[in-house]
Amino acid sequence: MTTVQWLLTFHVTGAFLLVGGSVAAGVLNVLSIRAERPSETALFLRLIRPVLPVVGIGSIATLVFGLWLVHERDLDFWSFWIIAAIVLWLAANALGGAGGRHQERARLRAEQLAAEGDTPDDELRAILRDPRGNAMSWLAGLATLLLLVDMIWKPGA
Amino acid sequence: MIAYERAFFPLFLHVLGAMTLVGAMLAVLVLAIAAWRRPEVAALRRAAFGTLLVLAIPAWVVMRAGAQWIYSQEGFNGHGDPTWVGIGFLVADAGLIVLLATSGIAFWWSRGGRPIAGRLVGGLTGLYLVMLAVAWLAMSGKWS
Repeated sequence: MTTVQWLLTFHVTGAFLLVGGSVAAGVLNVLSIRAERPSETALFLRLIRPVLPVVGIGSIATLVFGLWLVHERDLDFWSFWIIAAIVLWLAANALGGAGGRHQERARLRAEQLAAEGDTPDDELRAILRDPRGNAMSWLAGLATLLLLVDMIWKPGA
Repeated sequence: MIAYERAFFPLFLHVLGAMTLVGAMLAVLVLAIAAWRRPEVAALRRAAFGTLLVLAIPAWVVMRAGAQWIYSQEGFNGHGDPTWVGIGFLVADAGLIVLLATSGIAFWWSRGGRPIAGRLVGGLTGLYLVMLAVAWLAMSGKWS
């Protein structure tokens, strides 16, 4: 295999970890919102934790090996699709982080309620259905999807 | 930076389906491991089966349809196809058997809660994730 093939393999592996991990985290987040009892909500939100290193490693690998590929293939760094990819990568990470903080708030309240009789209250329901908090996670997913579109379509390449 | 000079939509469908499938199987693996430790939580078993049914199987269909679309569009005909194409199809088609078996056992597990069923779901899900990793490595590295 050539250097470019190796770099592409690592870059695509990173993309699979980033998108796959994000999908898994999204599934667990949806399950936590749909759960009947606070203890189940807290459990599903705790299960997102082991998935986060997968997303983190994938996120770093896509960027590092992607930039290395740009250098190795002598591509124009200022091409629209490369700049768009970097902007989308930054947006996905920032929005994902904000979504994660919202989920952490929900987990703490759910754990509190689980220890006090395991019955949901208005505060937990409000946190779980908070449109701003949830929008962060959905927008992070949208940015990741657009990143994939950009990588395959390569507008301006 | 996935591909150059290839039709956008079939490749997008194929890659999106494959990545969603990996994510769905990762979620099922996490749920199965959690259920191993907390067998009394029925929500974990139901969630694993629901994820397979609602996300993993549709993602497989999208991935496989995209693969067939690219295959016919790029002029492959089964004679002298590159190794990476063969590995991709082998994992996709053998993977369907693993996926359906996992879903069947997950249904049994969601109804009865037998620990052996949960372990089988976890084991098969892990096996399928390894198969998918081999496929994406072979296809991205264009193993010849």
